[in-house]
Amino acid sequence: MSTHDFGQVSRTVGTVFRYALLAATLVGVVALGILLLFVAVDAIQPLTADPGWHLTFFLSFVLPTLVVSGYLYRRAPDSLRAGGAIVGLLAVTTMFAGGVVLIFVDIVSPITWFGFVLALALPAGVLALVSRTLSPGMGTSVGLSAALLYISLAGVPGPVGGIVGLAPIAPSVIALVGSIPVLPVDWMLLVVSVSLPVGLLAGSYVASYTDRRGGIVALGLTVALGVAASLAAPSLGISAGPSLLLATVVGVPTGLAVWRSWETNRLALALPAVVVGGAFVGAFAVEALGFAGPQSWVDWQFLTSAHSRIAEDAGLYPAIGGSILLMGAVIVLSFPFGVGAAIYMEEYAPDNRLTRLIDVNISNLAGVPSVVYGLLGLGVFVRFAGQPTGTVLVGGATLSLLILPIIIISSREAIRSVPEEMRQASYGMGATRWQTVKNVVLPRAFPGVLTGTILALGRAIGETAPLIMIGAPDVVFSLPAELSAKVSAMPLQVYAWATLYGSPAFYQKAVPAGVVVLVSVLLAMNSLAIVLRNRYQNEQ
Amino acid sequence: MSNNDTPMDDSTDYSDSPDPTDDSVIETNVADAAASTDTTRPPADTIVEARNVDVFYDDVQALDDISMEIPERRVTAMVGPSGCGKSTFLRCINRMNDRIDAARVEGELLLRGKNVYDDDVDPVALRRRVGMVFQAPNPFPKSIYENVAYGLNIQGIEGDYDEIVEESLRRAALWDEVKDQLHESGLDLSGGQQQRLCIARAIAPDPEVILMDEPASALDPVATSKIEDLIADLAEEYTVVIVTHNMQQAARISDKTAVFLTGGELVEFGDTEQVFQNPSSDRVEDYITGKFG
Repeated sequence: MSTHDFGQVSRTVGTVFRYALLAATLVGVVALGILLLFVAVDAIQPLTADPGWHLTFFLSFVLPTLVVSGYLYRRAPDSLRAGGAIVGLLAVTTMFAGGVVLIFVDIVSPITWFGFVLALALPAGVLALVSRTLSPGMGTSVGLSAALLYISLAGVPGPVGGIVGLAPIAPSVIALVGSIPVLPVDWMLLVVSVSLPVGLLAGSYVASYTDRRGGIVALGLTVALGVAASLAAPSLGISAGPSLLLATVVGVPTGLAVWRSWETNRLALALPAVVVGGAFVGAFAVEALGFAGPQSWVDWQFLTSAHSRIAEDAGLYPAIGGSILLMGAVIVLSFPFGVGAAIYMEEYAPDNRLTRLIDVNISNLAGVPSVVYGLLGLGVFVRFAGQPTGTVLVGGATLSLLILPIIIISSREAIRSVPEEMRQASYGMGATRWQTVKNVVLPRAFPGVLTGTILALGRAIGETAPLIMIGAPDVVFSLPAELSAKVSAMPLQVYAWATLYGSPAFYQKAVPAGVVVLVSVLLAMNSLAIVLRNRYQNEQ
Repeated sequence: MSNNDTPMDDSTDYSDSPDPTDDSVIETNVADAAASTDTTRPPADTIVEARNVDVFYDDVQALDDISMEIPERRVTAMVGPSGCGKSTFLRCINRMNDRIDAARVEGELLLRGKNVYDDDVDPVALRRRVGMVFQAPNPFPKSIYENVAYGLNIQGIEGDYDEIVEESLRRAALWDEVKDQLHESGLDLSGGQQQRLCIARAIAPDPEVILMDEPASALDPVATSKIEDLIADLAEEYTVVIVTHNMQQAARISDKTAVFLTGGELVEFGDTEQVFQNPSSDRVEDYITGKFG
């Protein structure tokens, strides 16, 4: 080799390694993709539709969406992203609205909800009045708000008085509202107890970008939307309450997103307009031309009916409701404890052997198989605490135990990612630890905490084994109306169809349909988490 | 550019310094020295006094027997090579070292005659009297207005916040640049603007002393010169203690200079002109003229 010749360095091993990695990636992705596609085809049966149906939707929906996306992708990628977010918001809020409607129709009557909102609003109002006129100290206001909340929610002397043996003097606000003999119709109650609070939130959001007047307009529009949806409901063939809830839960967040984008980036509205418009045009066109859609097993009947011995009639409704209730219980039980523990361990705990031991053990607990948590739940809540088996409370508590370590770990991660400089700046200004945590650490860590919690909930919603262990029934025919009622869940129902009722009809119809619903909910939750995380990273 | 010609830029300020050849500047009475170097301003009282301060991180000694008196409403610069303990000393003054478990402080550090390490001193209350600006600009991810009002909020200061925020931003020479975007994020500003925002944030609650830990080291020369002008203005109302790596900067902006050398020793403390023109020891001369460090 001459001194002018650099020669060649062999890259054979490196190249082989690179393609091996690519192959590994592809095998995983393709296998998962095929699996999902297989289940989806089974459940939705796209081939049973008329070719004309496919052609119509391709022309009205798929093609315009592709063209607009392609154009935006090349010309204005920002608008494509923002538009995609609005479409995603529409999808997620629609699912969420379904859950809300389900709760209001079957579990919490509008009058109970109204009483509850009133019971929370009254103390808040009194407190606001008192603090404005008398400006009491911190301790006084905390004590006062606790007392007011207790009186308002539980009455005088309430459950404590019941234990001590005092005669009830005044009922709670909820009981008071429930005992009024003449009541306005449900939708009017909902306008006050749903539209108004949502409108206040929307108003403060709008006001933060514009001014007080804009906020009041948003509040007015939200209430008007609720009233309009209720009045228009009979002509659409649904009842007023669900119509109001759907319009509020879907319309308000989407409306706000559309308004923001109208103010900042109008091009972003092209994609949602094409998607929604295309879907409507396609639906009207197939109706008018008489093309039949696919014989999907995931249909309105499947979503709204209970289990049946006949696969075609079987539905997931009680299981969907059960999953929603379990999630509610899990959030209430695991979020405060998990986030509280994370804050303590990151911001307050000294670094010593004990905390390091706890640290390691929490990481270990996150990896313990779920069936073990089921056993734990059975032992603690059923055998020891004497709760009945398979209730919402026991199921929720068990699933909370399961995801508590995950919430703690991800929340700690989020809190730790708050730069030390931020804390330094705050302490350097003479802030106490509590002020620093409240004003600097938590606002900054919150999106991360929320992301971790949503992902953990995704784990909980898909769990079957712990529910089996605590004796949740495979089949429930109506929604559990209280915490001590028996509950089933989506994965448990699918499991039951696949085992107890494992006939070919169930395998081919109910099981794939159930899986598609479960996976859709999971994907919606995960995409919400991803959107939150991206927004979080953009801010940093 | 060599270091030793830079003090001349400011030499007019010090031209009537009485005794440039005095070698024993370290323990000079600060009030007298300040009075004699500055004919336009009244004599300065001592606001911060260190008496035999030692700092240890576990077993490692970071500061060794530091004694000095920092005059009120003057700029006092701390210079020295990396790891010499100058930042550690700065953080002792507002007890930011408390946040490090391993740090231990011995000796006395007096703020207006009160030892800040006494048991009855609340470090949080201390930090409300001693503001701090950090090396890298660290505005909160909040709006510019909220950043400046942060100290007012947490300290429960009453008053017209709009007015205080405007005044603080004006003093930090930032008002004209940001007055139309007060409610936009402080993180959208440039690095130099962010640092001036941090200064505005530090002065808003009206502290007695402002500590600055290399406030311009992450900034470009233009932004640096703005910060330097600002520090000179601030010294009319506040006591500024600034740590810097940059000899010219110390010479340009400070009234007093303390030179720390490796091992946590304070080897020289005195009027800036004196320290730069006539250092008492060869080690200091070598350092400030750039032979090492």
